Amino acid sequence: MTRARMLLAGALALALALAVAWLSQAPTTYARDDDALLRLSWRVEGLRVEECRPRTAEELEALAPHMRTPEVCVGGGADYELLVELDGAAVVHDTIRAGGARGDRPIYVYRDIDLSPGRYALRVAFGALLPEGFAVDGARLTHAFDGQVDVAPTEVVLIALDPTTAELVRVGQ
Amino acid sequence: MRRLLRAAQRAGRGLFARADSAFNALYTWRYNPLYHSGALVVACFLILTVTGLYLLLFYRIGAPYDSVARITDQAFAGRWIRTLHRYVSDLAVVAIVVHAFRMFVQDRAWGPRALAWVSGVVLTLVFFVCGWTGYVMVWDVQAQLLAAEGARLFDFLPIFDEPISRAFVGDRPMPSAFFFMNLFAHIAIPVGIALILWIHVSRLARANVMPPRPLLWGTVALFTLVSLAWPATMAQEADLLRLPTDVPFDVFYSFPWPITRALPAGVAWLGLGGLFAIALSVPLLTRPGPADGRAPSWVNPRFCTGCEQCYHDCPYEAIGMVRRDDGREGFVALVDPSKCVSCGICAGSCAPMGVGPPGRTGRDQLAEVRAFIDLAQPSAESVVLVACRHSAGGRRRSDHATPVFPVPCVGALHTSVIEYLVRAGAAGVVVVACPSRDCWNREGVTWFLERAYNQREAELQERVDRRRLHVAYVAESESAKLEDEIAGFRASLEALGGGSAEATIDIVALCDVPEVSVTEVEA
Repeated sequence: MTRARMLLAGALALALALAVAWLSQAPTTYARDDDALLRLSWRVEGLRVEECRPRTAEELEALAPHMRTPEVCVGGGADYELLVELDGAAVVHDTIRAGGARGDRPIYVYRDIDLSPGRYALRVAFGALLPEGFAVDGARLTHAFDGQVDVAPTEVVLIALDPTTAELVRVGQ
Repeated sequence: MRRLLRAAQRAGRGLFARADSAFNALYTWRYNPLYHSGALVVACFLILTVTGLYLLLFYRIGAPYDSVARITDQAFAGRWIRTLHRYVSDLAVVAIVVHAFRMFVQDRAWGPRALAWVSGVVLTLVFFVCGWTGYVMVWDVQAQLLAAEGARLFDFLPIFDEPISRAFVGDRPMPSAFFFMNLFAHIAIPVGIALILWIHVSRLARANVMPPRPLLWGTVALFTLVSLAWPATMAQEADLLRLPTDVPFDVFYSFPWPITRALPAGVAWLGLGGLFAIALSVPLLTRPGPADGRAPSWVNPRFCTGCEQCYHDCPYEAIGMVRRDDGREGFVALVDPSKCVSCGICAGSCAPMGVGPPGRTGRDQLAEVRAFIDLAQPSAESVVLVACRHSAGGRRRSDHATPVFPVPCVGALHTSVIEYLVRAGAAGVVVVACPSRDCWNREGVTWFLERAYNQREAELQERVDRRRLHVAYVAESESAKLEDEIAGFRASLEALGGGSAEATIDIVALCDVPEVSVTEVEA
């Protein structure tokens, strides 16, 4: 192998290794200064919307021993309505159903909404949709946030549920 | 789809032919990294294990970012070791891609090699998962994006009760348990990689799992040097309440995420799943049809002397020895068709010419070379090229001065063919082989050389003047190099004079085969 060829071989190997090193940490821009995000994230135990009655003695007799629950209930978890308004304009208006086959799982809200930095009048309302005439004793039906938010460039404004007050609050403020 | 894959194979073969040629010119075929891509992955894996063990000493799940920053501050060790760990993991991805693509274009994924292909695809996926966990360990802005996108995709699947994306919203500090699980995965996955690697090479005899030492240590030295000169820096720490702006992006591991992020999670899964399914089904899609002449080898028990040479030479452990049941003493070779890739190397290994794929046994080759001599009529100055069809010789045009006798692989070539050519009056024979580490049948070149020069069973007879034989290692696109080799060989033959044809050429199968002669079988 000639000296020139050895030099070329070394130079190529070095160039390839440097290419690997550069591509290993290629500088990229993910978010710009005019990007920001409104993030909603919380979990609630959904309200139960069901009617229960005791099983009759005949019904209990007809069931296998391990299935003899004293009550039979019809219904499931309540649906919830999520409304998000920015400066009075609705950006989200959805109905959220409880998870699980019987609708008895907790309800999770997780939404990302793109924003531009600036000041907004933000209103978030999250409330149970109950059938007409359905009475609930003492349970919290709605959770809400209503206020001005200042959004800095690249900031993630997080609205979450305060476990002590059961109100929607802005986290990190 | 089959047609598309065949077209991709053809295009890829052309690409590799040019790249091989360029790398051979610079590094010689012995140290061409393109020929050692699979072994380089294993070498990278070992380097990653060693450097990873060092990094593990200093990593803290309670303060992931700070502990990695402390490692990076260790000017004499931690900084370059962490960098080496990172760059070598990237090199591993490059080597995996080259290796997989090479196997694909060389049509080495179907049939008995499907296990190696499928395990290779799984290995690749597992390697990526290991890499992603490694990046999450640092908990910088790239880790934040990786974790968030991974969580988004997993939330689409009905696996978790609670969306795991909620773990990355920033309403509470990231729990140590998350980093513990991630660290556990990053350490446990390599154990799985070692296991799958074992499966990957389990059907290969004498698997080459390490590159040649100069290439191995050259790679270590080169990447150590680059790690010292250009160490990986720390990106900004992850802040879940802030969108990352400047992200140092590892193209080798993070390349799918900008694409998936732009897609709904279901579509992203469909795309990723579809790619994985296509990769897994390559053995099915590239499987040759029955008309392609790649039937498995078979043994004619009448000729088999039980010498075990085909059993030793088979690169895929497809031949076993079983006790004879024909009244003769000893053992007879038996081919397992489910492991045979029809490479024909057994045909070259069998002195009495009793084994090989149908139509390609030593006896078939002798019949072929006789017909070739009748047709080509080589003169006393002719140099016959016995050319592997994957080498540059396979593409060379035949002419009277240098007639070409094509063979599927020089390892499948029976040495009696060379003897026949020399005794038929050719001035010389050039065996045109692929560079040995690029043999499509793994060990074809190695066994041919052993038979031609080192008396390995089915050896080239001593009466053949070795000065009339030349072996040229030329990749597919190295036509110019082949011409140089032919010219050089011709010059060396001048001192010997022209070839002399024998009136009667009796090729003797040396092993003691009862009541059988070559003439009888050919008849």
